[in-house]
Amino acid sequence: MQALTDVSLSVGPREFCTVIGPSGCGKSTLLAMIGGLLGPDEGSIVIDGRRVAGPDPRRVAMVFQDPGLFPWLTALDNVAFGLELQGIPRAERRRIAADLLGPLGLREFALKYPRELSGGMRQRVAIARALAIDSGIVLMDEPFGALDEQTRFLMGEWLLDVWTRARKTVVFVTHSLQEALALSTRVVVMTARPGRIKSVIDLPLPYPRDLESPEIASFRAKLWGELREESLKTMNQ
Amino acid sequence: MRRGVVLPRAAIVGVLALGWEITARSMDPLLYVPPSRVLPALGRLVALESFPYLPEHLWLTLREILIAYALAVGGGIATGFALGLRPGLGRIYAPLLGALYAVPSVVWYPSLMLLFGLGAASKIAFGFLLGFFPITLAVLAGVRQVDPHLVTVARAFGARPGTVFARVMLPSMLSTLTGGLRAGLALSVVGVIVGEVLGSKAGLGYLINYAYGLLRTADYVALVLVALALVLAVDGVAARGERRARRWA
Repeated sequence: MQALTDVSLSVGPREFCTVIGPSGCGKSTLLAMIGGLLGPDEGSIVIDGRRVAGPDPRRVAMVFQDPGLFPWLTALDNVAFGLELQGIPRAERRRIAADLLGPLGLREFALKYPRELSGGMRQRVAIARALAIDSGIVLMDEPFGALDEQTRFLMGEWLLDVWTRARKTVVFVTHSLQEALALSTRVVVMTARPGRIKSVIDLPLPYPRDLESPEIASFRAKLWGELREESLKTMNQ
Repeated sequence: MRRGVVLPRAAIVGVLALGWEITARSMDPLLYVPPSRVLPALGRLVALESFPYLPEHLWLTLREILIAYALAVGGGIATGFALGLRPGLGRIYAPLLGALYAVPSVVWYPSLMLLFGLGAASKIAFGFLLGFFPITLAVLAGVRQVDPHLVTVARAFGARPGTVFARVMLPSMLSTLTGGLRAGLALSVVGVIVGEVLGSKAGLGYLINYAYGLLRTADYVALVLVALALVLAVDGVAARGERRARRWA
């Protein structure tokens, strides 16, 4: 089955680029390709002038919808997992992980196991694990998709704060208009399967954004206009 | 161990021994021996009066168990991973394994004796056969337990296949694996001793069969108690290993 076709997209440094589209449009496939987990049948992914041939955690970190924490590791050791694979000594990687957990409001939970954490906490740990390896790019595949709406909203605020401080390039997959409007510097709208890029909308607005402002409302209308047609197609497929 | 566990256990052993004593005294003394006759027999056994060569026989049985178990672990882990990691192969052969496991294993023993003779080799083969299945099936079940998403996550963080195996697969399957290893050990012990009882020239099972054949019933029961102690000791070691493995994960 063909998931994607004719996708050409370039993301600049320190952008927060959101990819939005109907379910099954290949957003996750696109992200897995950028992350080197899947190879494209045709074409290529290039990061900083080098072709992606497989996962490269020194350049790209990933966060998934399912946090994918290792149940046998504490929150702290989960955050340190990527550093461990890079051969960083235990004391140092634990220090780095602990420094990350503090500002995420997880200081007291460092020695807890994933089953002892709430859904939002688990996802924060997963994000901390991605930030720990200090890659320039973070790919996020619907990281808040499994959370309730309130938690989702707060996590978005929190992520924005992290992103502004860490100055990373983020490619963020979602199917939430609100999330796209609140977070992105740029929104890529994908078509129904096989996914291609329908339009790219720049959001040159300061943060934090008031989602009720007339400016955002006009972007929302525009974005929904693009998305509606594709969602309808998916619904009727 | 807590007193709340020890006391009721001692009580049930006491009650059973008492019931045994009362029942046995009212029966044929040649066939039914009460604890009051077993204990002196056990004393003579341990003092090496009734069976002076007991240590040699025990040592032989223990060696047979160790070899059988080592082979079962090696073979079971290799087969389990070979079938578990290649889904195609697993689909073909895993059901066969399950079917073979369901056959009462004792039916294989005569052919093992024909193949390997009356000596230690047939006991080792039987202990291996009994231990092999639970270990193989535990590995197979364990491989299925591994969450593919965790493998993807590990790959995304740069884990190569060897690292995925050591840091994701092994910890994911640890409790199933250690459970299978422990069950395999218990069955290897059973296989070796049953093999010795069914036909042999030496070993604990041979002594049991010998005492039984001569109607030395008190000695026979004392030897069975020794076998029980051996099984408990081996399983105790396995339980410690299991706890240790869990702590490591």
